[in-house]
Amino acid sequence: MNASEAVQRQLKDDWDNREFEQVLADNIKSIANFLSTFELSCRSKLATLNDKINLLERKVEFLEARVTKGDTLS
Amino acid sequence: MSNNVSLEAALNNVSLLDMIVVPDDQPDIEARVLPLLYRANFDTNFEDRSAFVTGIAKYSEEATRHAQFNDMLAEGLQHAANLYTWRCCSRAVPMAKSNDQPNRTEINEMVVNVLKPEVSKLNSFMRFTLHAIQRFCEEVRRLCHSEKRKDFVSEAYLLTLGRFINMFAVLDELKNMKASIKNDFSTFRRASQFLQTMSDTQAIHDMQNLSMFLATQNKIKDDLKLQMKTIEGYEELLSDVVNICAHMYEQQLYISPNEKHMFVKVIAFSLFLMDGDAANVAKLDQKKRLSIQRLDKIFKSLEVVPLYGDMQIQPFAFVRRSSHYEANKWPLSDKESEKCHVNIVEKVHTIRSDHESYVTQFAKINNEVAISDRVGSDREHRELTSLALSGIQLLCQWSCAVVETISWKLLHPTNPKDNRECPDTAEEYERATRYNYTPAEKTALIQIIAMIKGLQSMLGKMEPEMSNATRKCVYVELQAFIQHTVNEPLQKAIKNKKDLLASILQSVKDSICDVGYELNRMTDTKSKSKKSGSKVDSANSSSSDIRIPRRTAAPGSTQLYMARTQLESLISEKLCGGKKILRKELDSKTIEKISVFLRKSAHWPALFKFSDSMTEAGELSQLWFREFYLEMTMGQRIQFPIEMSMPWILTDYILSCDEHSLIESALYQLDLYNDAAQYSLFSFNKQFLYDEVEAEVNLCFDQFVYKLSEMVFTNYKQLASSMLLDKRFKSELSRVGTIIRTPTASRFESLLQQRHVQLLGRSVDLNRVVSQRINMSLLKALDAAIWKFESEPLSSIIELDMLIEANRLCHSLLKEVLHSLAPFDDIFQEANHAVNSPHGRITLHVFWELNYDFVPNFVYNGSTHRFVRAKQFFRKTPAREKPPQVGQVYYWGSKSLMAAFMNISNGYNSCIGTQHLKAITRLLHYQGIAVILDELLKMTHRLLEEKIKRHVRNVFNMMPKVLKLPRADYGSTALLQYYCHHLDAVGKYPELKSEFCQDLRELGNMIIFCQQLEVALGQEETHDLFLAAAFIGNVPQPPSRNAQEQMKQLAKLEEKYARIHLSEVIAKNTNDEGQAIIAKEAELMTKERLCCGLNVFENFLLRIKQILANDEIWTGGYPTNGVFWIDECVEWYRVYSALQFFLCQPTRDDNEVYAE
Repeated sequence: MNASEAVQRQLKDDWDNREFEQVLADNIKSIANFLSTFELSCRSKLATLNDKINLLERKVEFLEARVTKGDTLS
Repeated sequence: MSNNVSLEAALNNVSLLDMIVVPDDQPDIEARVLPLLYRANFDTNFEDRSAFVTGIAKYSEEATRHAQFNDMLAEGLQHAANLYTWRCCSRAVPMAKSNDQPNRTEINEMVVNVLKPEVSKLNSFMRFTLHAIQRFCEEVRRLCHSEKRKDFVSEAYLLTLGRFINMFAVLDELKNMKASIKNDFSTFRRASQFLQTMSDTQAIHDMQNLSMFLATQNKIKDDLKLQMKTIEGYEELLSDVVNICAHMYEQQLYISPNEKHMFVKVIAFSLFLMDGDAANVAKLDQKKRLSIQRLDKIFKSLEVVPLYGDMQIQPFAFVRRSSHYEANKWPLSDKESEKCHVNIVEKVHTIRSDHESYVTQFAKINNEVAISDRVGSDREHRELTSLALSGIQLLCQWSCAVVETISWKLLHPTNPKDNRECPDTAEEYERATRYNYTPAEKTALIQIIAMIKGLQSMLGKMEPEMSNATRKCVYVELQAFIQHTVNEPLQKAIKNKKDLLASILQSVKDSICDVGYELNRMTDTKSKSKKSGSKVDSANSSSSDIRIPRRTAAPGSTQLYMARTQLESLISEKLCGGKKILRKELDSKTIEKISVFLRKSAHWPALFKFSDSMTEAGELSQLWFREFYLEMTMGQRIQFPIEMSMPWILTDYILSCDEHSLIESALYQLDLYNDAAQYSLFSFNKQFLYDEVEAEVNLCFDQFVYKLSEMVFTNYKQLASSMLLDKRFKSELSRVGTIIRTPTASRFESLLQQRHVQLLGRSVDLNRVVSQRINMSLLKALDAAIWKFESEPLSSIIELDMLIEANRLCHSLLKEVLHSLAPFDDIFQEANHAVNSPHGRITLHVFWELNYDFVPNFVYNGSTHRFVRAKQFFRKTPAREKPPQVGQVYYWGSKSLMAAFMNISNGYNSCIGTQHLKAITRLLHYQGIAVILDELLKMTHRLLEEKIKRHVRNVFNMMPKVLKLPRADYGSTALLQYYCHHLDAVGKYPELKSEFCQDLRELGNMIIFCQQLEVALGQEETHDLFLAAAFIGNVPQPPSRNAQEQMKQLAKLEEKYARIHLSEVIAKNTNDEGQAIIAKEAELMTKERLCCGLNVFENFLLRIKQILANDEIWTGGYPTNGVFWIDECVEWYRVYSALQFFLCQPTRDDNEVYAE
């Protein structure tokens, strides 16, 4: 009976350890998943910002060109 | 930050991440996006086998061998990758041309240096193969030992043997196919023999061996067969392998295309191996160990399978090759069919309905998971688990359909006879890919690939929930199985003293059971005192599963293997543990339960690594790989152009076909490159292949963006043009029978909303790259419009105006979907070259036309207020620019629209009227008009000073100094005679009717043009003011009975419109005083137009007057009598009167009066 108990105890420990590993792995995974979605979300937002800055930049360039009247900016 | 964070706190922190909202609102039309992939691999490859002390020793021994074989299989796979991706080196290295070339030693040394690492790979390949064959035969010999033959061999083990057989077949075919390996090796050998570096006999011997090994075709197969033949009864073992593979294949117990194809290859190759000195296959068929009929069906259902990458084989060819092959036994497979066994065009319908029903089910469960916070029940976990499994199976089925179609097509290239589009010069690979698919097949492939990738991405999003549920479900099932199925027979076996059975059952229980010994003991005691009525007992009776704890842990891979294998041995028909058949000792119910459990648990390992299984099931990198065909070109091609590459063929088809619904699957096709790149890097481990994929992607993506932008631009251009086209005009046209096609609804929006397309680890903002191109296209379109105007007379300004309006509308439609499009006016100014020069191209050309064509060649018709082209020409118009050569899309979008608009604008071609002048004012603005007027004034000045003045002076000289008024009673005839006589010289002035009149016409044209321009400007401005009225606080007076009431109503209206009175709103809402002032000034600018205060025409006339007043030739100088000139011919009106006598006389030959 003792031997059997020892085996059972070991088995239980094994299950416990595996569960612990699994919990850790799952949590790291959820961090990774979060980072992924976070990146995608940031990319969308940055793209929107980028559009606005681009337009402003274009506008500034355009106005500069208009103001200089043919002379290149030094 | 503290260094010690407790586990609980850490887990809490992670769960907090769920609370953070990370919006990414773009349509999901892309394959699974993985900027960051985290994989946890719990497969131990039997490393922990020794821990299962309670297991039967035989199986833990088997596990050891299993582990070894798995390692060898992995190594074999790496060798296969090496062989497959081998590129010929010897073609690239220079050769020593003759024996007396001075640098031949260096060349040879270099060759040896370069090829040495490659040859060492070949060496290890050969060693591995020989070792593997030996190891495999040992194993077969062990299992076929007469004592062992009746023993039970586990399913997993047979499958591993099958994998080994498959590996041999693949390696051998690869070795046969790659001629470049042999060439490279012989180059190396020659070079090293020249250098005589190999002095010891061992090395020379090795080299000789390797050379033989490489040069002998089918070496591996034949070696294997030779060795196998010596083993007695090997065919029986192989027939077990064949049977298990056939079973797996028929029951669809596979979860990736690779696995499916492997089964068939194993069956075929095993049959080839079995066929030794006698017709073993037929014998086994007679003994009912095999069923040829069954295998025949299998071969028929899968005629062509991918062997490796783009290499295909017909599995049946192995059977046919065996020496005792009898064709009549294989009625189905023996004849090759004309068509692919997968009818992809038909198949897509069933796939779509499967997809739909699956997605519905998925969405339902997904919603349930999303809205509930509680921990799910066992039922929900079971549902999710089966959903996950069927998802993978569907993916696998669909990928199989795609891969098998592609394989079949590769093996059956088209030819110019079958496909008219295929030119005679088309090369092999081109015929296998580019011309080998009908449009319907391409559409089907595109749709299936889109469904595969879409489902993959959907499953990927649910992956954490699904794996979690799977683990919970598996845990519960496992424990329930122990409790309900194993415990009872175990007790019985102990009671009946069946030691072996009891020990195996105990071992199964010990390897997977997870009840703490406390609980275990409790249940033991409880079963003895059943009637005690304890708490536990009542709970037990109400719910059968309450004793089972819940965990989210999956069983270990070895653990599951041990349990499964032991259970399998229990219900096997064969001997277990070498003594007796245990099946007989179990009751049928238990056997049934065990077999159900075995069936269920077969897929568990795949579900535990759900993410990987899913990736593998939908992996289509094969569509890109073409090493086999590259090898076939014998160095003619280093790489194939993108037109022959399947991913691009599909993408290109989407962009060039008329089916707009396909456009949303475009990004899924590009994901094939991701697959290929992933496979090159992580399975082949070949950087150079990745580089080639990358190069192709660079090219393709450019093309993709280019074509997509073109499509988008064309579509929106056509849309804008059709919107502008008059409705009545359209209906008239359709009544006549001409139909102008309005562009069909297209689905660019979702594609254009993609801000982060993942391609080979890069993230592409599709919206931005398309915007950039569209900016260019708009610029080009406007440039083309202006250029066209420059090549035509002034009257085409109407067309220019319409074109600009169409482009403006197109721009505003595009602006809705493309976010970084430049403002239209900026683009227009740029096209007009008006950014940094004061006058745009339009202004310059208007002036050019006025100067060279309009002023000299037109006449004014006072009743229609139009200018028409005169019949007599005195000035020749210089040649205009050539019209631009650009596509329809840059004008009106399509041919029919172009024709329609050309017809409309043709109506304006023959005259210059109010519409033209209005268009001029719209396009030129104040600045341009000022320039034009200024120039006209200068022209007038020049005309008066240089030309007309000279003529006037000449005419004065010809006229008598004094011409008195004759008496009226002479009669009109006499009076006319009188004047004609006196002015005879004037009438004979040679330049009178040519130059002088022409000059006068020009002067008149300029003046009237100016007046008409003013009228047009006035109308435009009034229109403008009218539209702006509501926004600048300009409220019209309401009708009323008296002034007082009117005042009241006016105040009311003013209050009503105060909300949209812009300058006031701005002043109210801004803190910046400057802005308020600017708004006020802008309003003032809007209100105070030229037409309100100033009069252009008046000014123009005043200027002319000033010019005239400066010279006495016009005014006649100060009259001598101080009042006015009476009879002297010195003033302008005298000249003009004199001219009238001759100009008003009808010409003799031409009596008609000008129509206008």
